[in-house]
Amino acid sequence: MKFFKSKYTQTIVIVMAVSGLIFLALGGYLTPLYNLTLNPLISFQSWLSVRYLSLREYLTSPREVTELREQNALLESQVTQLQTQLIEMEEQLAEAEVCFALLDFGRTNPEYDYIAATVIGREISPFLQYILIDKGTDDGIQFGMPAVTQQGLVGRVDAVIANAARIKLITDSTSVVNVHLQSAETEAQLVGSLTGDVSLDMIPLDIKVDPGDVVLTSGLGGNYPPNIFIGQVLSVQQRDNALFQTASVQPIVDFSSINAVLVVVNFEAVDTSPLIPED
Amino acid sequence: MIAHLVCVLSLVVAYILQTTIFSQTPLLSGTADLILLFLAAWSLQENVENSWLWTVIAGVLISMVSAMPLYAPLFGYLGVVGISRLLQRRVWRVPILAMFIVTLLSTFFQQALYVIALQINGSPIAWGESLDMVILPSALLNLIFALPIYAVVNDIVGRMNPLEVEP
Repeated sequence: MKFFKSKYTQTIVIVMAVSGLIFLALGGYLTPLYNLTLNPLISFQSWLSVRYLSLREYLTSPREVTELREQNALLESQVTQLQTQLIEMEEQLAEAEVCFALLDFGRTNPEYDYIAATVIGREISPFLQYILIDKGTDDGIQFGMPAVTQQGLVGRVDAVIANAARIKLITDSTSVVNVHLQSAETEAQLVGSLTGDVSLDMIPLDIKVDPGDVVLTSGLGGNYPPNIFIGQVLSVQQRDNALFQTASVQPIVDFSSINAVLVVVNFEAVDTSPLIPED
Repeated sequence: MIAHLVCVLSLVVAYILQTTIFSQTPLLSGTADLILLFLAAWSLQENVENSWLWTVIAGVLISMVSAMPLYAPLFGYLGVVGISRLLQRRVWRVPILAMFIVTLLSTFFQQALYVIALQINGSPIAWGESLDMVILPSALLNLIFALPIYAVVNDIVGRMNPLEVEP
């Protein structure tokens, strides 16, 4: 019995048991047990997150302004929705005038299906901008699906398990989104940063971009659907000898207080990586 | 055996609190790392012997959950326990001071490791901006939370290993 009570034997037994469990998990044998364990964990995480966010909002909002702020948020949401609708309608009208007969209404006016998901956490590392949601493959979420709010684009699904998923925000430093500038009629790239600010890159020098210009997804690259609202241009920077101009963008979504997102489930991202030549 | 159970339960609680609360409460772009603080405080305790084992397990599992590349969280947390164990034998008379030193050194080590891992992976992250916006604010937050976390862990370990009073 002394043999089994020694700390080395205990450590070896624990290491072997944990290794065995990891191998069984990797082989898929523990999926029912995995789901059984994760479901309450994710439920508790969701419960705690919702209450914490509510408490934070309650503590940080002045009492007398709360109602006005709610009304303002509602009106802002409606204005944003109407603005997005207006932009879409204008684009549809322009295309219809040019080639109505060839117009594919399914492409220009897609009816997306959404799954609503609650944000249950954020990435542990402060260098990365990711959120965790409480919906996974069991609910129809797949890798690469775009995530939006009623205001605009949030990001895309980066990893997914049975009942949770991780979304890479467009503010992440490795995120690149192909965008279309509404007024300037040009394409550009929206890139994130370490601090969560987003900016436009690859804007041709001969294009005039003004503060307030609307930034939409262009759909190029196949990672995001076209015409999703992202934000507005704040300022434009032109450097001497630079090949392109850049611009700061004010995103329409407040990424610091996202409570829920909508995942577009009927959009399939196009994997263009096989078409990119290797070095 | 109780030490193993307490450690794994504490790590699960720390992970949930980290993702739901601490990661959503940044100072500039830096956040406190509750798991780092727990592992540092846990491995500073004299009566605890399982810190390496659970650091490896926690590091592997968090590496799988996190979007950080190259298993950086695992090596980061191993470094935390390494620094902690190294200092435990040198500053053992003043454990609170040891906790502060370990927290500071561990934060710099872990965040530097993250920057290197991300740069290797192709992220356009600059050292100067990382230091100003993430590393220093994270270090400050970790130092603020170091004392309460150490007190809680010290209390837990004290309850697990009560002092024997001779009759």
